Amino acid sequence: MSVTIAILSVCMLISAVSVVAARSPIVSALALVGNLITVAAFYAAMNAHFLAAVQILVYAGAIVVLVLFVLMLLNVKGEAGKKSDFILRVGAAIIAGFFLLTVVPIWDGWLGLSNLSAPEGTVRAIGKLVYTDYVYCFEVASILILIAVVGAVTLGRRARIPNIASE
Amino acid sequence: MERIHTILAIAAITFAIGAVGVIVRRNVIVVFMCIELMLNAVNLSFVAFSQSVGNLTGQVAVFFVMVVAAAEAAVGLAIFIALFRTARSVESTSATELRL
Repeated sequence: MSVTIAILSVCMLISAVSVVAARSPIVSALALVGNLITVAAFYAAMNAHFLAAVQILVYAGAIVVLVLFVLMLLNVKGEAGKKSDFILRVGAAIIAGFFLLTVVPIWDGWLGLSNLSAPEGTVRAIGKLVYTDYVYCFEVASILILIAVVGAVTLGRRARIPNIASE
Repeated sequence: MERIHTILAIAAITFAIGAVGVIVRRNVIVVFMCIELMLNAVNLSFVAFSQSVGNLTGQVAVFFVMVVAAAEAAVGLAIFIALFRTARSVESTSATELRL
C-alpha cells in the first residue's frame, strides 16, 4: 500500500465522518467538497483521468455549489438540541454493520482481484465507448436531464392552484 | 494487501457512513449530501473494479451515475425549496402532510 493511497484514505474517512457529524449544514457541505476532491484524487491515482476531471467539474463545481446556494437561500440553522430516537440510532448502527460486513471478503482476498492495469480512462477512450457501445444510454441520459430540468422548474415556481380556487 | 483491496474497503466504509447519515440526520439537505456520499463510494468501487478487470466499462457506468446524480440534485433541491415553502422548515420530521 503506497503512501499516497494511505493519505487519501485517511482524508476520505475524516471528511465522510464530518459530513455526517457536523452540526452546521454549511460545514457538512464543505466537508463534502473535501470528500469529492479526495475521490477525484483516487480516480486520478487509478488512471481514470476523464472521471477525475468530471468529478471536480460536476460534483464539486456544480452540485455542491447548488446545495450551498439552497442552504444559504433558506438560511438553514443547525439541528435543534434534541437528538434522534435511540431506536433509530441502534437501527443505523445495525445497518452500517451489515454494510461493513462486505469488507470481510475484500480483506480476506476471496474475490481474487489483482492490480491489472486497465487502459487509461482518457477522454478519447471513454468518449469512444460512450458514442459507440453505449450510445442509446447516452440518448436516454439526455432525455433524463431534460425531464429533470422541466421537473425542477415545475416544482420551483409557486403553485397557482390556490389562487384559481379563490377566484 | 494490494492497492485495490484498500480502495474497495475505503469505499465500503464510506458507504456505511453515508447510510448512517441518511438514517440518523433529520435535515433533508444533509440527508441529500449523505446520499451523494453513498453514490460516490459506489462510483469509487466501480472504478476500482474496472481497473482490476482491465476494461473501461466500469468508468462509463460511473459517467452515467454522475448524470443521474446531477438530475437528482436539480429535482431534489427544487423539492427542498417547495418543502420549505409549505412547512417553513427543512427537517424531515416536519413533512407530515400525507400522514394519516
